[in-house]
Amino acid sequence: MKKSLYLILALLLLVLAACGNDDAAEQKEETDGNEVNLYTARHYDVDDELYKKFEEETGIKVNLIKGDADELLERIKREGDATEADLFLTADAGRLYRAKEDDLLQSVTSDLLDEQIPENYRDTDQMWYGLTKRARVIVYNQDTVSPEELSTYDALTEDQWNGRVLIRSSENIYNQSLLASFIEIDGEEKAKEWAAGLVNNFARDPEGGDRDQAKAIAAGVGDVAIMNSYYFGQMLNSEDAAEVEVAEGLGLYFPNQETTGTHVNVSGAGVVKTAKNKENAIKLLEFLSAPEAQGTFAEANYEYPVNSAVEPSELLKSWGEFKEQDIPLSSLGDNNAKSILIFNEVGWK
Amino acid sequence: MQRRLANINIWTVAAIAIIAALFLPNMTIVTGLFTPSNENWEHMKEFVLWSFVKNSLILVVATAVSTIFIGLSLAWLIAQYQFPFRKFLKWALILPLSIPPFIGAYTYHGIFNYTGVIQSTLRGLFNMELNPVYFDIMNLPGAIFIYTVFLYPYVYTITQVFLSQQSASLIESTRLLGKGPWRTFFQVVVPISRISIIAGASLVILEVLNDYGVVKYYGIQTFTTAIFQSWFGLGDIETSIKLAASLMGFVIIILLIEKILRGRRQYSYSSTKVRPLPLIRLTGWKAFAAAGYGFAILALGFFIPIIQLIDWTILTFGTIPLDEFISYIKNSVFVAGISAATIIVFSLIVGNFARLVHGRIAKLLPKLTVLGYSIPGAVIAVAVVTAFVALDNFLAPLYQLVGTKSTLVLSVSLILLVTAYIIRFFAIGYSSIETGYDKIGTDFQDASRLLGAGLTRTFFKVDMPMMKGAIISGFILVFIDVLKEIPLTLILRPFNFDTLSTKAFQYASDEKIMEASQASLLIVGISALAIMVFYKFLEKELD
Repeated sequence: MKKSLYLILALLLLVLAACGNDDAAEQKEETDGNEVNLYTARHYDVDDELYKKFEEETGIKVNLIKGDADELLERIKREGDATEADLFLTADAGRLYRAKEDDLLQSVTSDLLDEQIPENYRDTDQMWYGLTKRARVIVYNQDTVSPEELSTYDALTEDQWNGRVLIRSSENIYNQSLLASFIEIDGEEKAKEWAAGLVNNFARDPEGGDRDQAKAIAAGVGDVAIMNSYYFGQMLNSEDAAEVEVAEGLGLYFPNQETTGTHVNVSGAGVVKTAKNKENAIKLLEFLSAPEAQGTFAEANYEYPVNSAVEPSELLKSWGEFKEQDIPLSSLGDNNAKSILIFNEVGWK
Repeated sequence: MQRRLANINIWTVAAIAIIAALFLPNMTIVTGLFTPSNENWEHMKEFVLWSFVKNSLILVVATAVSTIFIGLSLAWLIAQYQFPFRKFLKWALILPLSIPPFIGAYTYHGIFNYTGVIQSTLRGLFNMELNPVYFDIMNLPGAIFIYTVFLYPYVYTITQVFLSQQSASLIESTRLLGKGPWRTFFQVVVPISRISIIAGASLVILEVLNDYGVVKYYGIQTFTTAIFQSWFGLGDIETSIKLAASLMGFVIIILLIEKILRGRRQYSYSSTKVRPLPLIRLTGWKAFAAAGYGFAILALGFFIPIIQLIDWTILTFGTIPLDEFISYIKNSVFVAGISAATIIVFSLIVGNFARLVHGRIAKLLPKLTVLGYSIPGAVIAVAVVTAFVALDNFLAPLYQLVGTKSTLVLSVSLILLVTAYIIRFFAIGYSSIETGYDKIGTDFQDASRLLGAGLTRTFFKVDMPMMKGAIISGFILVFIDVLKEIPLTLILRPFNFDTLSTKAFQYASDEKIMEASQASLLIVGISALAIMVFYKFLEKELD
């Protein structure tokens, strides 16, 4: 009987301990002024290494909250003026656009940023800055497809590709941004035709991630897949020998080279409107777009640097140079909802 | 009148306060039901809603049926028969609960896909290239399989404990009356364990309705997909809240059905120490089949995924610094422990209230707290943030008095996260405590009161000792669930706060399942340890 009393007491003590544990917040107070609070939707290990390096170089502590881009945005919105967030970082221009639209970001001027990041990867109002580029490319089975047969994203809707095209679900932001770019270039009607045509040529219902599409080619489910370039790099450098073998059997093709260019998206960041550590946030942006960090993104994560002073890694160079889509990146966000409605209508799962 | 007044005491006040605190943040969602529909809602209704609802229904019904089948048959085998390895299986069969379904989904896909061990071996050793369609598990049947092998323990545990302790005399009488095992099973075991089956299955159903990780990766569009799509994709929070509210309505219906099925029956016994059922010894092929069945399920739900995770861990060992894991483990165990403890204390108070206070409202009120379990984690997260920001703004003058610079204190602390866990998982702890109260009934309580002991004294001296089993099982179940939880933790944690599951999820969502294996294995290890402790306690309790 006594034992159970002790049990209850122990439980209550635990509860009290929980209440005493907001000293995490108090600790933060002490470093006030010499820190930057980052809400990021990127969770690569290489990012963490870069933050550590930034801390060493500047003495500014980087506090992190990682999560899904939309959920982080929603959190900033709800926290309102009192939010702790200084910098919002995400792997998609559409979400940066949404943050701007929702009036969550502020305009920032920095000569260093202007110098390091070309104009087309910046927001027109300096609300956000692109940090790395990723291309949405076509990979193909080298045994059954010759690169001469490939040309544009559009061409994949032709009859000869019936039952041979692989791509992940429309829930994925990379596909939403891809379709959004087509809406921008060709208009809604043609974009819908493209989506319907591609669904018609699907080798199977969308499932899995980008890597799974590549594997499905190796398995003979389909012959071509649309995927992000850096996943291909990751597979080539995988710890898993079987995955490397799969990637080695594939070719990488940059579509739309004669026409509108390959679809490109960016990872980028913007300073939050109510940032309490604005200067530090800008310093971090400058650091991430400086040659050293840009080189690290390319080497470790197979992303293309935005800083034109930085050479892409050897692997990226081996894929060759390519022409990029020339549209304002904000249009990806502008057309995002429209593309979701189109996906639903044409039955792209 | 006198009686009414007697009901108002510290227990009642505490219970109603807890229920209100758990329910209030969800009010934002309830109100969503009554907002007028907009064009996004119409669009969803026209093109996708029906297929989303259909997929969800198929998932829920099929998973419920298969978990009941597996959970009940295993519970019956363990409760009724003696066969080799029975003792080991009895507790080991709970282990699949330690694997988060999304990790299981990634792991099984890893095993079955083109570069996975099965197809690689077939190609390498036997030079066999089979049609990959046979190995594709990323579809509805695949998802049902995943949910079944990782969630059946909810049905198994609850039913097994019930059958082993409570039904002994009933089953024994049936045996004495000369009924065979099959008739005993269908005419006695199934009807009397109805409540535990329903309790277990409804936890499974809620878990499936709420899951996003498995269906997202497998490309299956469900009701939860619709909620996320309208909120994040279309930026239309109203439509998404409307959807979440409809889901909540659906769950209320399930709860009502449970209530109706339970009827007026109260299953309590006059003694808490019921003589265990004498076991029937199985021999020959029957013994072999019984053990084989148990091991087969255990292999699917535990050993096979674990071996794959270990293999990946070896492949990627050293890529993540080991000392980082120590802080992830500390954080995970800390929040899980606190949340589980708080939930149990609250459940005891609310459960006691529901038991002692008569009247329909008193019985219905506690059910409201279960609603948290029906709402997708991300939606709860936003509801809780909203509530806390409001609270912080309200308390801001107080903060200034103390000299804190920020106006957000509570909403950037761990308290926010723990509160959200409590809202989300209260149902798990509460159902365990409720079953416990049902079991002990009110006879002992009445006796104690008649002898002059007060409510509080009776609670500590009479009820608590008898509730130990329910307390421990409730604690462990919540503990494991918090350890595995994803959306809430991702959205609500304070700065620089990583747990094992956020780490595992981040790697998995970047399609780095091999790197995710290390954190996943630790989750499984800690949960498995908790299950073992739980079992040891329970054994002692029943001896």
